[in-house]
Amino acid sequence: MHTPDGFLHPWMVGALLVVSSLVVGTCLHRLRGTLSTARIQLFAIVTAGIFAAQLLNWPLPTPVSAHFVGGALAAIVLGPRLGIVSVSIVLAIQAFVFGDGGVLALGANVFNMAIVETLGGYAIYQLLAGYHRPTAIVAAGWGSITLAALAAGIELGLSPAFGYELVTTVVVMGGGHALLGVGEGLLTLLGVWLLETTGSTASDVSRQGAQA
Amino acid sequence: MSVQGSHIDRDWMIKAIGGLALLVAVSPLFAIGAEAVGYIEPLEHAAELTGARTHATVIVAGLFTEYGIPGLGTAAGTLIAGAVGTVLTLAVALGVGQGLAE
Repeated sequence: MHTPDGFLHPWMVGALLVVSSLVVGTCLHRLRGTLSTARIQLFAIVTAGIFAAQLLNWPLPTPVSAHFVGGALAAIVLGPRLGIVSVSIVLAIQAFVFGDGGVLALGANVFNMAIVETLGGYAIYQLLAGYHRPTAIVAAGWGSITLAALAAGIELGLSPAFGYELVTTVVVMGGGHALLGVGEGLLTLLGVWLLETTGSTASDVSRQGAQA
Repeated sequence: MSVQGSHIDRDWMIKAIGGLALLVAVSPLFAIGAEAVGYIEPLEHAAELTGARTHATVIVAGLFTEYGIPGLGTAAGTLIAGAVGTVLTLAVALGVGQGLAE
């Protein structure tokens, strides 16, 4: 879902760079002076884990495939603000060191995968966690990547490089990720479960995450 | 691990870093598998359908373009690039986290 340079309309590139910078900057400002040593280390491990998990392109025998993105996982275990910062760091490193996603399109990629996906996943999780937590985590993973893909589909469909074929881009992006997003949901559940069963408790992660 | 304390459990950190190493270690298998099945994401599919593929430009290719290293095969390139990226991400996140410390 990493948009390269050249795909988006220039005004959209600029607008999303500004919006994403403001959101990430606000998150950093609000988080300043709040992280304990333990939270910093958890944040670092989760961020590196998201990078490493994104290396794993699913070799599915399907017309299209995907890889884990991790916005919902970051939001659930770190909280929405720290989650946004976490995924933004991953995207910036991918763009500048690995050429994965354009450097000018970084604002769009941060908007889609760090902001929309993280906030969307967190909202779904908060909405459903009171009923059945595992289902809420899977739904958050699935819903978050689908929302991020829809956002990307709208941006691409409103750009001349894609011939303004909005319906095509929204259907392909939204539909493709809605199907593949089941994997994102299950891997989000696995990630939360691993973090919790290796020593932390659900209440610790959730309570601290909500505060960040 | 207690995320409420001021210090994280050393055992948990060792397990977590082991988990990261495991993810990096298996990444070549996924890279080879993805190559074998002709891995393509929905975004690339949309670009093909609309003729947008030729509009993609590269402003910064990065040191490890496409998570590989020129001259090395897929497996070795992915393994090294993945290891460097994971350590770099860990270091940057620790640095940012330190800047947000209480």
